[in-house]
Amino acid sequence: MPVTFETGDVLPPLKHTATALQLFRYSAATWNPHRIHFDESYARQEGHAGLALHSHLRAALAVRCITEGLGPDWQVTKFAYRLRQPVYAPADLTYTARVTAAERNRMTLELTEENPSGELGFEGTAWVSTTAGATP
Amino acid sequence: MSFTPEPGTPLATYYAETQPRVGAVLSRRTIGLLDAVTIGRYAMTIGATDPVHHDAAAARSAGYADVVAPPNLLAAIVEWGTGTPEADLQPDGTPNDGETPLGDPGLGLRVMGAGEEMELVNPVVAGTELVLESTLAAVTPKQTRTGTCVFVTTLNTFTSADGTVLNRNRRTVVLRNPLQES
Repeated sequence: MPVTFETGDVLPPLKHTATALQLFRYSAATWNPHRIHFDESYARQEGHAGLALHSHLRAALAVRCITEGLGPDWQVTKFAYRLRQPVYAPADLTYTARVTAAERNRMTLELTEENPSGELGFEGTAWVSTTAGATP
Repeated sequence: MSFTPEPGTPLATYYAETQPRVGAVLSRRTIGLLDAVTIGRYAMTIGATDPVHHDAAAARSAGYADVVAPPNLLAAIVEWGTGTPEADLQPDGTPNDGETPLGDPGLGLRVMGAGEEMELVNPVVAGTELVLESTLAAVTPKQTRTGTCVFVTTLNTFTSADGTVLNRNRRTVVLRNPLQES
């Protein structure tokens, strides 16, 4: 039986420090040549306050909060997010997921990303279901 | 009356050229074989240590045919294959033939990711031959607290070579005028 959750449950927050080195490796791994992620002087020319985190990196960290918080009995079937503001490296980020609807084999969770000053940088929704092997 | 970018600005030129293409299939192409190293490197960079991303035996024990990609890997990779020669990249480094139309390089538009809706239909495992179809879904100008923007949404459907849908992603980027013209 998969671990069950109830509406209102909050998964363990995922705390992460995004560094310039991580941004470089993420650009390399995704073959992303966009300079705002690895060329700080260029990023500032575009009006950024430093190296901008990739939106997909922020999404990946948010999804990790879900997958690691729920464990292998659950899988993400849909994920939607929007960025409220850019984030610049180095950045101490906290991702939090809260269950907003729970049935036997599926759930909906709200996701947020906060910086140390408590500002909301990102918000999203994940839909999950039990994995086939875990379905009773 | 709907909002449109100020006439004479690069964003107005972009909007006039791109909005009429909404609904068009931008590309449909085989993008190559997804290998275990690509999956492992992606998982490494995001800090995903679950063995299903790194170890084939662990992945098989979990019911996958091979190591499985973290959920947004397909969405995140910008260029497939060898990519664009440096001389052909736009001044901001972006490739001009990506899934999202970014306008003539001379417009100097600034681009950033704004969000995405990902429908994760089937697991994405190493050894899959990938096909990507991109459709221009929406081109929407907005006035925001940081100035005039155009939000561009593409529907990116990833399938395997046998036609099995893997991901159906609605990706949105935001375009802004060059800094001096904002």
